[in-house]
Amino acid sequence: MNKPRVWLRPASALLAGLVFFLPIYLVLVNVFKDGSAIVSNPVGVPIPPTLDNIQGVLSRPDHLFWYGLVNSTEVTAISIIIITVISAMLGHFLARSTGVLAKVAMVALLCGLMVPPAVILTPLTDVLRALGLMSTVPGLILAYVGYYMPFGVFVFAGFVKTIPRELEEAAAIDGAGAFRVFWQVVFPLMRPASASVLIFLGVWIWNDFLNPLIILGPAAGTTVTVGIYRSIGEHQADFGSVFAFMFLATLPILVFYLAFQKQFVKGLTGGATKG
Amino acid sequence: MTRNPRLLSTVALAGALLLAGCTAGSTDTSTSKGGKATLTFLTFETPNLDAKYWDAAIARASAKVPGVTVKKLVSPSADRTGYAKQLDSTGQFPDIMIGLNPAGFAEAGKLAEWSDEDLENYIDPRANTYDGKVYQLPYATQATFVYYNKNDFAKAGIDTPPRTYKELLDASAKLKAKGINPFVVGGGGKDSWADMFPLICTVATDVYKETPDWLAQRRAGKVKFTDPAFVAAAQKVADLAEKGYIDRAGLSRSYADTEQAFRDGKGAMYPMGSWFSASADAKKPSFETGVFAWPTDHGSPALPGVTGGGMTVSSKASDVDLAKKWAKAFMEDEKNLNAAVKADALIIAIKGYTPPDNMGPVYEETVAAYRRAQSADGVVNSFSQETGDGSLPPGLADKAAAGVQKLLSGGMTASEFGAYMDSQWTKATR
Amino acid sequence: MDLKRSPRSLRRARSRDGLTRFAVFAAPGLLVYLALVLVPIGITTAYSFTNKNPFNPPTHWVGLDNLTSLVSDDEFRKALWNTIIITGIVTIVTNAGGLAIAMLLDRRGWLYNMLRSVFFVPVVLSAVVVSVIWQTILVDDGLLNSKLRQLGMSDPPGWLSNPDLALYTVSWVIAWQGIGFCVVIYLAGLQGIPQELHEAAAIDGCGPMMRFRHVTWPMLAPAVTINTVMSLIGGFKAYDQVQVLTNGGPGPGTTSTLAFQVVQTAFNGNHVGYASAMAVVMLVLVAAVSVIALGLLQKREVSS
Repeated sequence: MNKPRVWLRPASALLAGLVFFLPIYLVLVNVFKDGSAIVSNPVGVPIPPTLDNIQGVLSRPDHLFWYGLVNSTEVTAISIIIITVISAMLGHFLARSTGVLAKVAMVALLCGLMVPPAVILTPLTDVLRALGLMSTVPGLILAYVGYYMPFGVFVFAGFVKTIPRELEEAAAIDGAGAFRVFWQVVFPLMRPASASVLIFLGVWIWNDFLNPLIILGPAAGTTVTVGIYRSIGEHQADFGSVFAFMFLATLPILVFYLAFQKQFVKGLTGGATKG
Repeated sequence: MTRNPRLLSTVALAGALLLAGCTAGSTDTSTSKGGKATLTFLTFETPNLDAKYWDAAIARASAKVPGVTVKKLVSPSADRTGYAKQLDSTGQFPDIMIGLNPAGFAEAGKLAEWSDEDLENYIDPRANTYDGKVYQLPYATQATFVYYNKNDFAKAGIDTPPRTYKELLDASAKLKAKGINPFVVGGGGKDSWADMFPLICTVATDVYKETPDWLAQRRAGKVKFTDPAFVAAAQKVADLAEKGYIDRAGLSRSYADTEQAFRDGKGAMYPMGSWFSASADAKKPSFETGVFAWPTDHGSPALPGVTGGGMTVSSKASDVDLAKKWAKAFMEDEKNLNAAVKADALIIAIKGYTPPDNMGPVYEETVAAYRRAQSADGVVNSFSQETGDGSLPPGLADKAAAGVQKLLSGGMTASEFGAYMDSQWTKATR
Repeated sequence: MDLKRSPRSLRRARSRDGLTRFAVFAAPGLLVYLALVLVPIGITTAYSFTNKNPFNPPTHWVGLDNLTSLVSDDEFRKALWNTIIITGIVTIVTNAGGLAIAMLLDRRGWLYNMLRSVFFVPVVLSAVVVSVIWQTILVDDGLLNSKLRQLGMSDPPGWLSNPDLALYTVSWVIAWQGIGFCVVIYLAGLQGIPQELHEAAAIDGCGPMMRFRHVTWPMLAPAVTINTVMSLIGGFKAYDQVQVLTNGGPGPGTTSTLAFQVVQTAFNGNHVGYASAMAVVMLVLVAAVSVIALGLLQKREVSS
């Protein structure tokens, strides 16, 4: 009576996982197959595996993948660090403020969460041009800082509620200024929140395609995600090449996630889930 | 507490990187010696026109024009016109573009005009004019044909390709009776344009044959999409779908999948642009491929074709004359033309050019069929693909493709399709 | 803050202090947001009262013409309806599915750890990658239908080619990508529920269903908030999946969403003014939905 029950959970969990994973599995196996094997047996395991598709991407004469990797890494790394710092400060400030203006600012920020980037792209470039930042890396990063600020604030403001106010007050009484209190007491406590902001923004900025292409400009804005688009156009039915590019372009961000995953869940749910 | 210095150093590092502000790949250029002017050139990549093809072609053109540095820009998808619009609206319009649809850009004065002198070498210099002016080098022709699987035709006992529309229907019936799907038509996902080919053919035979400037008349309000001629053209397509001659599975197939479906023998006839012949020759399917023009009711030819596709130059280019010179050098370089013919099966419209000797049989047959139609004065415009004054308003080609999906799936009758096109026209020209 | 002890001078010092704090902590973020998000939204709003068309100058002020045309624009209404359906399906499927899977995985062990990562992988992929993968599966002669045919189904559904089905297929693809996020959040929520509560409820004679209703569900309120907000965002912004999987079809506007409609109108049809009016309507809806959703959900959090 008890025995089948013991097996029920792992078995159904495994089954659900397998079904869910099938599409990813398709990509993984077909990266290591040649074209004819993909057509004749798309689902089968690649035996023997071939590295031709991977090599094809890595050794492109136009270095599409490598240039894209450098650009994506640079833009993503700088952007997420700046957004994390600024939105942590703003999130903390708004969560600790009780005024009406803080509420208004919070709602204004929340609305920004749902604006599709394409909708404001053209006027955004007007603003950047007026600031003299169009076609520059700082311009792109500033655009990201503005666009993703709401998410950072949303997460940090939620998390701040779990940090006892007394802790900050105690530090302030010890004579530390607001700036030092924040950086030395509050920010280290918000590590889980920082981890979730870093991960999510990392994923979103890494996967963004329109902004680099337009704001950095068509000549300089080649990121790995732009590379995915281009390889879809160039190879179309050649799924081995397309999947190989997708695989390589996704690998860095996946590794980044795995490195931070322990921290980040706590950050999103805050202490609130403790009940 | 110990995190603070580490954080500061990270921020400092970020700042340093930021100041450096450089991006990789931005030196993606081909320079001729002593480059003075830098020009941007917008290309697009397809399986046939890959990165290698463009780099070699750019290098050949740059070798002929001293003092030019050309920076290659690549459209993220084959829709280079849409991308050019985005670049234009954000103040980054490229200097030189290939295969752009000039509509809109031309009227708004964003393009440089080609003079008669520039167009001396072109066979049909006035193929696309905007208010009498030429903005795109008309260097090649592409036409829509029906490619067919000779094995399937033999199996169904069809000895000669159909010469009248009735024969086309008979052939379809025979194929269907043998369990062979008559037509492969695609148009799923982002490639909805690919569903247009049957309608392009029936509009050519039933509308443009009689009234070559039909769209110009539509613009002037003299005709409507609900007029009997256009509805009859749409009705033919709807009937083909209704009889099961057009496989509805195509509505989910991307363009690439559609070609693969024809190659895999999933249908006997493949109405497609002449560029397919390059692919059929380069990677021969397991059967012989034949070609014929979509027949009219009575057999006289009405072949939908477009001449154009060449270079456009921005009127705001840093050096318009140099840009034009380079664009012409690119366009008229024999090796570049050979490469384009090989890759895309273009029918070159430049005087004195002959294709390489080693072209494949499907291309040769395609060109022969085009020349036959041409000599019988049977080449007409290609609905939704035409450029120049008598072309669809911006955005309408996409709407037409969406409408055809519904027409093919039986969700719309031919006259409903006509009414739909009229209302979309009103919206687009508001 | 302890204000009782503060004489007036100190209070003034405090308020100056507050100003410095605002300048250091809030101003940088708010300024960037203002300049690069709110100002562009303002420009878009201004365009919405014009007939701006970059290819057909000059631009005129047309007042509310765009907005009144929108009211009678079938395509816009269709896109609005589609967006609501997609958002609804995505929110329900990711939350229900995510919670079910989270409860299944709420155990220790390498198997569950591994499965947790498996469910999260789609979240880090770009929407385009996900759409391309699913396209190879869902097209009429794709992997799913060839399997169904092997299993003896003679006429498997046209997941993307059937106009009655395509919208749900697109919703599913968006939901599939979002489930992993909800799983992770719900797992964290479940693990935060003290074991004693379950035990106490069990002693009181509650069965599994009752325990879920009275212990688990209320305790998960914060997780529900996060997941609902994120799903609403994902649904409302839906663009890439539509573009790759259906391009708004099959048929006119069958799967077109608001974001898709705005981009099409602006960049294909060149009607920037009209597209801006759509965008403004969309923004107002977004603002209303986020305020209402957040208000409702936070009320639940507080009361539980």
